[in-house]
Amino acid sequence: MQEALFENYEKQVWELAGIVPGSEGVRMRAFKQAVKLGLPTKRDEDWRYSDVKFLNDISFSISKKPKAIEVKQAPLSQNYAARLVFVNGYFDEDLSDYAELLEAVNVRPLANHFTSNPDRVDELVEGGDGVALLNTALMIGGMVISVPANTVIEKPVEILNYSTGTEQSASHIRHVLEIGEAASLNIIEHFVGDAISGNYWNNSVIQARVSEGGSLTHHRVQEEGAHAFHTAKAHVSLDAGANYSCSNLMLGAKVSRFEGHVKVMGEDARATIDGVALAGKDQSHDILTNVRHMVPGSTSDQVVRTIADAFGKTAFQGKVIVDKDAQETEADQSFKALLFDRRGEANAKPELEILADDVKCSHGATVGELDEKAIFYLTSRGVDPVTARQILVSAFTADAFERVDDELKTVIAEKVAQWMTERNIG
Amino acid sequence: MTMLKIENLHVQVGTTEIIKGLNLEVKAGEVHAIMGPNGAGKSTLASTIAGRDDYEVTSGSVTFQGKDLLDLESHERAGEGIFLGFQYPVEIPGVSNLNFLRTALNGVRKYKGEDEMSAGEFMKLVRAKASDLKMDVDMLKRFVNVGFSGGEKKRNEMVQMAVLDPKFAVLDETDSGLDIDALRIVSEGINAQRRDDTAILLITHYQRLLDYVQPDVVHVLADGQIVKSGGKELALELEEKGYADVA
Repeated sequence: MQEALFENYEKQVWELAGIVPGSEGVRMRAFKQAVKLGLPTKRDEDWRYSDVKFLNDISFSISKKPKAIEVKQAPLSQNYAARLVFVNGYFDEDLSDYAELLEAVNVRPLANHFTSNPDRVDELVEGGDGVALLNTALMIGGMVISVPANTVIEKPVEILNYSTGTEQSASHIRHVLEIGEAASLNIIEHFVGDAISGNYWNNSVIQARVSEGGSLTHHRVQEEGAHAFHTAKAHVSLDAGANYSCSNLMLGAKVSRFEGHVKVMGEDARATIDGVALAGKDQSHDILTNVRHMVPGSTSDQVVRTIADAFGKTAFQGKVIVDKDAQETEADQSFKALLFDRRGEANAKPELEILADDVKCSHGATVGELDEKAIFYLTSRGVDPVTARQILVSAFTADAFERVDDELKTVIAEKVAQWMTERNIG
Repeated sequence: MTMLKIENLHVQVGTTEIIKGLNLEVKAGEVHAIMGPNGAGKSTLASTIAGRDDYEVTSGSVTFQGKDLLDLESHERAGEGIFLGFQYPVEIPGVSNLNFLRTALNGVRKYKGEDEMSAGEFMKLVRAKASDLKMDVDMLKRFVNVGFSGGEKKRNEMVQMAVLDPKFAVLDETDSGLDIDALRIVSEGINAQRRDDTAILLITHYQRLLDYVQPDVVHVLADGQIVKSGGKELALELEEKGYADVA
């Protein structure tokens, strides 16, 4: 079945020769591995809750770089350190604004990365399944951001991924983040699809290394077009005392999925992955986490909240692995799902693999409906039913945004409220 | 002037009829107490007046100041001036008391065609009412009823009532679970709401509350109907002899 797809993708690997100089060999290696592993299907345990049909049904072509385009999308954070704009996966120098950041941080397009660092190319093959490998084989660009030791970038660096969304086009983006010792970086990824976009596929991979005492904050706001497919992975490794804090808002796309893979390799490191997914009619949102504690004394925490309306579907697969030596690990996981309608679907699969004996790990998963008693309490005091539901939904999702700074939190809360208004449930 | 008039009310919860032909008339300026054994239908009556939608009215009428209450949704009834003090106030994690109360107050004001109350004005009002009920305003910054003791929840109900200033308050076992001091404070809250232009319906098991809030009329509710009505001495008689003998 997938042979015809791979035939097409192999042609694309050749066509992309030269777009990221120095990557030709790694592309072909990744491609061959992808062929060997195949693209995910429902039979793959990690993808069983996802609508992966599109991966097997559609033969995507590489998205085209649009000619000069006006992108009116306002930044999520008014007060940013830099704004990096990608259109259909291609970096747009003119729309971006990062001169100031360049003074403190090394920011360069992936295209220039391997010519000066040919040995770094092998890092790209790591990680995974057919989708990740296809990303490596077909990547059209991305950013490499290296924050030198002791450099703290407080204001967010916003990466806008804007898609015009040509039918059956695919953008494979790869970002590489390197956070030096005691350095810190705050990234906001915003995915936006044009209002008239078609069934395009955005496939993004971020790989990050956070050195000792460093910190990476990673917020994602996914508002792809209504017919889009969105798959994204973050592969993060943490040295001692390092911190990775990730949040997600999944609103757009027909099928979307975020995977957070964290290797906690240093003591006292901390990883948090939070997420809110709101699935309306015919939408499917997945969050998959895989946090591996490899050394003693590190912590991780995950707070995920999802809501599914009629014919919407959400899934959370959360895996925490505690290696034999990783004593005194503290790992918490909390998943709650709401169904607005009996025809909605929520799936939860928490997995703990604990090989150490002195650990504190907890997980909880619940699926329910909005509390009718609470709604009556609010309405009996004069709150109209639409507002009452909005209040309860804001409260429900707020847990998963507690680690987001106030400015972005306000923006996110408005988007959640807007989603509720569109549901018009009262 | 008649505020609330209930005629031949029948209410069903699921397939079970709980209220079976109830009649009640409450005039402005009056305090009525409804007493009765467990399962008589007291809480069902209270929730029906406030418009809980899983309680189905199969026949009869409820009018409030001449308006058909059964035609209105719960929040519209609040707009008309109905307030239900809950027997078990609901805990709502993630929603602050102040935000909730301000949204409720502005909901009621909007219903009445009034402008929203500014944040400053609102805080002033809340501070005054909270202080009357010996409630720390800081507690109101916390999530709705979360981590509140039984007494604090009931005092919180009274603060909300005072801020919303309803014309007709139905207080469902507001006295249950209160110690003597809390009972006195809550009673003062109820008495403060007692005016010529308001009316109060107290639902209670015990005479104790009626020592502090003296009712004009006492009713005995049994098996979905009001079986006896009288003055405040009826409550004393009930306390002494029990429901079986009196009703």
